Amino acid sequence: MKSAIRLTRTDRVFHLFIDASLILFLAILFIPIWSTIALSFRPNDFIGSALDGMLLAPWKWSTAAYKALLGHKAFITSTFNSFRIFFEGIAAALFFTVPLAYALSIKTLPGRKLLYVLVIIPYLFNVGLIPNYLLVSNLGLMNKLAAVFLPGAVSVYNTLIMKSFFEGIPEELKESARIDGASELTVLWKIILPLSKPILLTIGLYYGVHFWNDFFNAMLYINDSNLQPLPILLRNILLSSGMNEYVEENAFGEAPIAAIKAASVFLAAIPMLVAYPFIQKYFVKGTMLGSVKG
Amino acid sequence: MKRTIKIAMTLILAVACVGSVFSQAAKKPVTIDLWYGAAITEAGPPPDDWIVYKILRDKLGIELKLTAEPSNENDQDVKILSSAAANQLPDLFMVRRDPWQVLIKQGLVAPVDDMYPLMPNRLENYFNADSIAFSTIKGKSYGFAFPGSLQKNEGLVIRKDWLTKLGLKMPTTLDELYDVCYAFTFKDPDGNGKDDTYGYGAFVEYFDQEQYLGRRFEPIMAAFGVAGTWNMTAANFGLNVKKPEFFEALKFVNKMVENKVVDPDWPSLKKDDFRAAWKQGKFGIMREQNAALAAQANYAPFDKNFPNGEWVALPPPKGPKGLAATGVMDANYRIYAVSPKAIKAGKKEAIAKFLDWSASDEGYKLLGWGVEGVNYSLDANGDITEKNVPADTKFSSPKGQTVTQLRNMVFYNSTLELNARYPYFTTANGRKIGPLGYLKSFQSYPWINVTGMGTIAPSPNNADLKRYINQGVQEFALGKKLLTKENYDAFIAQMDKLGAAAWEKAAYAQMDENGYLK
Repeated sequence: MKSAIRLTRTDRVFHLFIDASLILFLAILFIPIWSTIALSFRPNDFIGSALDGMLLAPWKWSTAAYKALLGHKAFITSTFNSFRIFFEGIAAALFFTVPLAYALSIKTLPGRKLLYVLVIIPYLFNVGLIPNYLLVSNLGLMNKLAAVFLPGAVSVYNTLIMKSFFEGIPEELKESARIDGASELTVLWKIILPLSKPILLTIGLYYGVHFWNDFFNAMLYINDSNLQPLPILLRNILLSSGMNEYVEENAFGEAPIAAIKAASVFLAAIPMLVAYPFIQKYFVKGTMLGSVKG
Repeated sequence: MKRTIKIAMTLILAVACVGSVFSQAAKKPVTIDLWYGAAITEAGPPPDDWIVYKILRDKLGIELKLTAEPSNENDQDVKILSSAAANQLPDLFMVRRDPWQVLIKQGLVAPVDDMYPLMPNRLENYFNADSIAFSTIKGKSYGFAFPGSLQKNEGLVIRKDWLTKLGLKMPTTLDELYDVCYAFTFKDPDGNGKDDTYGYGAFVEYFDQEQYLGRRFEPIMAAFGVAGTWNMTAANFGLNVKKPEFFEALKFVNKMVENKVVDPDWPSLKKDDFRAAWKQGKFGIMREQNAALAAQANYAPFDKNFPNGEWVALPPPKGPKGLAATGVMDANYRIYAVSPKAIKAGKKEAIAKFLDWSASDEGYKLLGWGVEGVNYSLDANGDITEKNVPADTKFSSPKGQTVTQLRNMVFYNSTLELNARYPYFTTANGRKIGPLGYLKSFQSYPWINVTGMGTIAPSPNNADLKRYINQGVQEFALGKKLLTKENYDAFIAQMDKLGAAAWEKAAYAQMDENGYLK
């Protein structure tokens, strides 16, 4: 039988305070999102303040900005490139990060300390822009989507989190596999990875979000406009506040430029907004497990 | 004999083969790698089957490889300087003046003096003594300065319908401007019975040449002779904020603010909010850009709201000493530089040929508007128009814009361009208006030429110093700081301590050396 816990007046006040704080916090997070959404549906002939715009009734909304963006070749191409960078980037990042993290997690690995130092050095000292540029260029990656994700395919921070997770998997499991004759690769593939879904999804998401949003590498290494990802287009749209001053129509037709900007921001955020809820349960588990290990 | 014939035949064949190889090599197009400033960065690149590629290949033997530079100037600088450091600059590239100077010092930009004579079409309309001087350092021209964006395209405008309703005349002096602002604020010029209008509208918009209160207050500052960040005269060079006249100008603005004849939201408004505000009829005098005001799409909401509303151009009012100007204007050029690598690879003639072709009638129209009948047509006056061409390919359509991405390399603000860019239209109450009419008025009003101001090197603590100055000026204007002589002197003294005096000294030396002082 369940015993009901009686709350004291202090408890109730405390709970009320917590609830109010959370609602306030939610409002702080929600207002800018709502503002962006409302702005993205603002009709071309709208006249009113920013507040009026936020309170604009949905039946007065215009979808012109979304129609314009989704029907525009540059937007479609950029979105496709971004998705390629997202998926190819995650695959490449996990391909490099998982073996490295696993190797670092093996306490008996010869030269483990040296390897650890070698991994930590670039974390502490950034080599700078020009050496990176030369590296990417000399690897023949200029004007290739891989130039956006390969330079960041091994994040030391993510590797260390993953290493901590691997260290948390009972040694006995690995030992028994090794006794059965499994190689380290088999141990990793058949024992470790099936148990590491939370960390793979978490770190994969970390990488994915980073690649999805990365503007700088794309700006630097991609010259072909047909290969440019969404952040580049987004930045071009956001910086083009003055374009209505120079031509009678903007690049996206009849929609107001403020709505185009807001719609592009919102559309670019949707994949990440959709991804989070699906991964959330693993996400919490993955980060917590990684965080409490040394 | 047979042997001799065989040898002769073999030799002939060999010569023919070698000749063919050589002739093929001669026909092989020269690739020009061009990093350009896109006209509309978000519109996307020209299509792969762009006719310009074919013409260049067939007529000039040039294979054009295009890369649009980032839309943000800082990003452009990073991209260019990184590729320069890796010795991978393209053959021809647009570059801002600051990084361009760095590249010259490093020997990464080639002198182009001997290329000018190869471009007769360009010499006719694009280059003059000023533009060549702009891209000349120590007697050598390190790039081509092409005409930049349109100059003097902003001006004061006033609600004529409000003036008429209140029985007022167009203000010609600052005092009259103040009186009209007062009437617009307190005498219900729109007749709606509400106290919801103001005289002057503005927002904070800074440019290197227009600091302090920003561009929107420049007509007022100019009436006191202190428009622009710097005074560019040899006799009185320095930061305008330190001039005694600036104190007087600030007092005038402060009076407008204190008496609420200027829209009180101006310090917090963004450009879009400002433009929404005049479309709502919030104020009756402002400085605005011609197309932002009167391009059909931009004017439509105002027209819908106030069919009888009418903005007319207002000559800048005269100040206490009879001075008047809309603001400052700096020489405005886009520099296209050539890399030494391109010269070394023997691409000089090809680059000159491409640039000259783009300035020919064929190149100018193809790069500026696209193909006749597809992207534009010519009207009875020979003006470019979008009539009689398919809606989805007209030059201002999303698709059409992609073929005009290089127009900034060929536009020089000719009459043909302006007529095409700013067509007239009919308002709700039957008036014929257009951005061109406003432009002509604005350009006929006085402006202060500050050529060279944009090249002044920033102070070492540029961001902090500007923040201190602009914030201080704004606080005085808003009355947050009492505007007294003592307070203002203390403000300037602190400014000098922060580096303003040293900055002035360095700027004077730089302007003097480059011959920009008047």
